[in-house]
Amino acid sequence: MADKLTKEEVMHVADLARISISDEEVEKYQVELKQLLNEVEKINDVKGYDDEILIAPWSENTVLRKDESKEMLNPKEVIENAPRHSGNYIEVPVVIGESEGA
Amino acid sequence: MYLDKSIKEINELLKSKTIKPIDLVEEAFENIEKNKELNAYITLNKEEAIAKAKELENKEVDNLLFGLPIAVKDNIVTKGLRTTCASHILDNFIPIYNATVVEKIISKNMIIIGKANMDEFAMGSSSRTSYFGAPKNPWNKEKISGGSSGGSATTIAARDLLFALGTDTGGSIRQPAAYTGIVGMKPTYGRVSRYGLVAFASSLDQIGPMTRNVYDNALLLNVIVGKDPKDLTSSSKEVEDFTRLIGEDIKGMKIAVPNYFMSDIVNDDIKDKIKDTIRLLEDAGATVDYIDMKYLENAVTLYQIIAMGEASSNLARFDGIRYGHPKENPKDIEDLYLSTRAEGFGKEVKRRIMVGSYLLSGDNAKIYYNKALSIRDDMKQEFTNVFEKYDLIIGPTTTTTAYNLSDSMDDPLKSFMDDVLVIPVNMAGLPAISIPVGFGTDNMPVGLHIIGNSFEEAKIYKLASFIEDKLKLDLNPFGGEK
Amino acid sequence: MTDFIPTIGVEVHVELKTKTKIFSPSVNGYGQMANSLTNVIDLGYPGTLPTMNEEVINLAIKAATVLNCKIRRQMHFDRKNYFYPDNPKNYQITQFDTPIGYDGYVEIEVDGKTKKIEIEEMHIEEDTCKSTHRKEKTLLDFNRAGVPLIEIVTKPCISSSEEAKLYLEKLKELLFYCDISDCKMEEGSMRADANVSIRKDINDPFGTKVEIKNIGSISNVGVSIEKEIARQKELIEKGESFKEQTRRYDDKLGDTVLMRVKETGNDYRYFPEPDIPYVIITDEMIERVEKTIPMLPKERRKKYQELGVSELNANKLVQNRSLSDYFNQLLEEKINFKVASNLLLGDISGYLNKNEKDITETTLIKERFIDLVNNIDNGTLTSKNLKDILDKVLETTSSIKEIIDECGIKNITDDNMIKEVITKIINDNPDSVADYKAGHDRAIKYLMGQVMKETKGGVNPKMAMETLINELNK
Repeated sequence: MADKLTKEEVMHVADLARISISDEEVEKYQVELKQLLNEVEKINDVKGYDDEILIAPWSENTVLRKDESKEMLNPKEVIENAPRHSGNYIEVPVVIGESEGA
Repeated sequence: MYLDKSIKEINELLKSKTIKPIDLVEEAFENIEKNKELNAYITLNKEEAIAKAKELENKEVDNLLFGLPIAVKDNIVTKGLRTTCASHILDNFIPIYNATVVEKIISKNMIIIGKANMDEFAMGSSSRTSYFGAPKNPWNKEKISGGSSGGSATTIAARDLLFALGTDTGGSIRQPAAYTGIVGMKPTYGRVSRYGLVAFASSLDQIGPMTRNVYDNALLLNVIVGKDPKDLTSSSKEVEDFTRLIGEDIKGMKIAVPNYFMSDIVNDDIKDKIKDTIRLLEDAGATVDYIDMKYLENAVTLYQIIAMGEASSNLARFDGIRYGHPKENPKDIEDLYLSTRAEGFGKEVKRRIMVGSYLLSGDNAKIYYNKALSIRDDMKQEFTNVFEKYDLIIGPTTTTTAYNLSDSMDDPLKSFMDDVLVIPVNMAGLPAISIPVGFGTDNMPVGLHIIGNSFEEAKIYKLASFIEDKLKLDLNPFGGEK
Repeated sequence: MTDFIPTIGVEVHVELKTKTKIFSPSVNGYGQMANSLTNVIDLGYPGTLPTMNEEVINLAIKAATVLNCKIRRQMHFDRKNYFYPDNPKNYQITQFDTPIGYDGYVEIEVDGKTKKIEIEEMHIEEDTCKSTHRKEKTLLDFNRAGVPLIEIVTKPCISSSEEAKLYLEKLKELLFYCDISDCKMEEGSMRADANVSIRKDINDPFGTKVEIKNIGSISNVGVSIEKEIARQKELIEKGESFKEQTRRYDDKLGDTVLMRVKETGNDYRYFPEPDIPYVIITDEMIERVEKTIPMLPKERRKKYQELGVSELNANKLVQNRSLSDYFNQLLEEKINFKVASNLLLGDISGYLNKNEKDITETTLIKERFIDLVNNIDNGTLTSKNLKDILDKVLETTSSIKEIIDECGIKNITDDNMIKEVITKIINDNPDSVADYKAGHDRAIKYLMGQVMKETKGGVNPKMAMETLINELNK
C-alpha cells in the first residue's frame, strides 16, 4: 500500500469538495489523507455481517407532514444574511450554463 | 455564592423572593469573567440575559429550572445571537430562527448566558480546532477540556453555572465530561430534536445535557426531549420524568463490561478506577459480567466513513452565498466556492470534508459506505442482544485522562482514537452517560461510561446517581486537595 | 444514403400540484414576488431539517398508478451532491436507490397501432431555485427551491420524434387529468429532456448518446429530436465521430446548441439521506389514492362514443377537462348524448369562452341541463330559441319550463298541429305543389319558408320538413 495519495487524487477530492489548495498543501494532504484512508481500509477486514443496512437509528418510519402552509420569511429576511444581494434577490457572480442536477 | 447551592435550594430562594434571577445571572457573568482565561465562550449574551432576568422578576417561579443560567454550545442556533460553530466561515452569522431545544429552554424561562466554545463544526476531540482558540481544563490549565463540547464542559467544571447543552456525534459530550469531571449525557438518537443543531453527521448527532451532578442532568433532559414535527427523526416516545428512578436500590441489576473496554488500549490508571467502581456495584448487590462484543473495535473505522461522508455533504452548504463569511470580490462563481471554503474552514474540517468526498466518490460509495452501513446494522444488533440479558453496559469513557494542550495536532488519527470507547454508542443510537468516578495519578478526573438500551435513560440515571452518592467526590477544581 | 435507426429516451420533470413544498411548509406557488415564498429550510440554513409532505407521496403513488408502474413498498431518499448556486444545500434530495415507481408504461397510438412506451422508473425529488442571468451577475429566487417534482424516465424505446411527441402529449394528458400537475411547459411545471442516438443496424450497439436539455414545448421536442438526428447523421456520414454531450434547444436558432461535453461521468456522490426515515407504502395508502383517480381520457373517449357522441365531439370534450368532468356526471342518465355534447361544445362553450367562465361557475346544474337537453331533443326548443334564452339558462336558477313560458315560446311539437299547418300551406299554394311534383326542388324550400312564417319559427324544422314531404308525396 502506498504511503501517500497521488497529487491528482488529492486535486480531485479538493475539487469535489470545492476547497482550493496550494501546492505545499497538496503534499501535506497526500500524506494525511492517506493516513486516514489506510484506517478506513480496515473495513475490508471485517467479516461475518449481513447485507441489511442501518442508514440511521430511526425509531419510526413513514413520518409525514400535512400539506398545510406555515409562516414564511419576507424577502428582506432572506437577503439579510446574504453577503451579496440586489433588490429582493440573492446575487452571485454570473453563472454560465445550467444546473447539472434536476 | 448562590450558584454553588443545589438546584432545589436555589429554587426555594427564588420562590421566596430572597433572590431574583438577576442575582444568578450576574453571578454567572462574574464567574465567567473570573475564569476568562479558560476561554469557555465564543459569544456572551450579557445584555439580553440581564433583560430577560429582569423580565422574569414578575413571573411566577413555576419550575425547578426557572431563572437559571444556561450555556449553549455554539453549533446550536440562537435567533439574534451569533452562532459560529467555532468557524471563521460563520464568524458573522446571526441566525434568524431558534433551534427547537432553545425554544424549549426559553419556554421554561431558563436564561441563555452565552455560546460555548467547541471544536470547529464539532470536528475534533480537544476543542483545539476552534477558530477562537481552545478552552482550558479548569483542573489544570495546561490540559485540554476535551471536545468537541469543550467549552460547555469547561464552564460547568469551573462552576460558572449549573447547566450547559452539548452535542455528541462520536463522544463529544461524554469525553469532555470525563476529562473535566462533570456529568454528560448523550440521549437516545431521536430523544431530542436536532432541528437547529448545525449538522456534522446527521445519523449520529444528538444534543444532550452537561451538568455538575446526575439529578440536574436528568432535570435538563426532562426539558429538552420530545417529538418535534420539524425533525422527522425525533421520537414520539412518551415524555417521561428521567429523575424517577434516582435514589432507587441497584440490587439485582445486571451489568456487562465488554472486555474490549478494559483491554490494553486503556491506561491502567483508568482501569483501576473502573475496577474500584465495579467492586462498589458488586458490593451493592449488582452482578457484573465481562463479555465479548465482536464489533466494538470496528466502530472507529465505521465512524470515519459514515461521519466524514455525511459531513462532506452537510458542510457543502457553506459557500458564502446565502449566509456566512465569503471570499471578497471573487473572480467568478468557482472562485467564490473554492476560496470561501479554503479560507473559511480550518485544517481538520477541510481534511474531513475531503476524505468524506473521496469515500463517496465513484465506486467508493459501494466499497466503503454501503459496507459501513451493513456493519453498522450488525453492531446495533449486537448491542440489542446484550441488552436482552443485561440492564446496562459500563466501562471507562476515555483511554487516558486529559492530555496537554501543547501536544501535537499533526496526527490526523489522534482525534478519532481519543473517542474509541464512546463512538460505538453513536453508531447504534443508544443513550450513554459519563460520570466522574475519581482522579488519575495526574490528579485529572476519570469518567465512567454507562450505556443503556434505547430509551432507557432513566435506568442509566439510576445507576449513575447511586455511584455518585456512594463516591461523594469533591468536584470543585478550585476547592483544595484531591 | 444510409437509413439510420434513431434511439430516443425521454426524461420528464413534472412539478406536483401541492399546496406546500416537498420538504418545508412554504407555499408552492408560481409568479410571486422574488423570495417571498421561502423559509429557512428552502434556503438551506444551517441546522434546518426536511419534513416530508404527505401529499407528495400521495400524488407520486397516483402518478405511478396511472403510468402502470410497480410501486416500491419501502423507500428512502438519497442525497445527490453537486455545487451549483441554484442548489441551496449543494445537495439535492432525490431518490436514487429506491425510486417510488418502476417498470411502467404509457400507451400511444402510432399509425393505428398501439405502442407501449416503457417507463424505466419515476422518482420524487426537490426542485432547484430559479436563476436569472444578467451581464455581470446571476440573481437567485428561492421561491421554486423545494417545489416537489417527479422525474419520469423512459427506456430508450422511442424510435421517432413523432412517438416522442405522442408520448409527451399522452403523459401530459394523464398527469393533468389526475390533478397531479398543471403540466404547463411554458411555466416550467413540465420540462422535458431527450436522449438521442442513432445507429445503422438494429443489431449494432447504441450510438453515442446526446442529451438535449430543458426543451420548452412538446413541438420543440419534436423539432430538436429531428435536428439532432439530422446532425448526427451528417457527422457519421462525413466519417466524423463525436463525444457524449449535453445540448440545449435554442428556440430562436431553431436548432440545438452545445452546452458541454461529458469528459467523465458526473460524480454525484449519492448516499442515503439520514434525515428522512423510510417511507413504507401500505395497501391502504394505495387504495386510498386509487379512489381519487378519475376516469382516464382513453376510457372517457370510448364511453362517450358508446353513448352516441361522435368521435370528433368525444375528442373535443376530453380536451376540455372541465366540460368532460361535467359530462361525466350525466353518463348514467337516459338522455340524447349527441344533443348533450353538441350543446356543451356549441352554444354553451361559446358563452363560457366569451365570459371567461367555467361551466361550474354557471347556474346550469345537472338537473337543469338534463331538462334542457330533453326539451331540445323533443323539439320544444329550437336552436334559435336556445340562443335567445341562453343567458337565462346559464345565469338564473329558474327551471327550463319557467324560462320557456316566460319568453312565450310556443313551439308546435304536436304532430297533428304541424299537419294542420302544413295542410293549410299546401292548400294555399297549389302552384308550388305542382312545381314540386314536376321535380323542381326549389319549391319545397319555398313551402318550408311559408311553414316557418306561419308558425313564426316556432316549429321544429326537422319535424316540419318530414311532415311536409310526407304530405306532398301522398
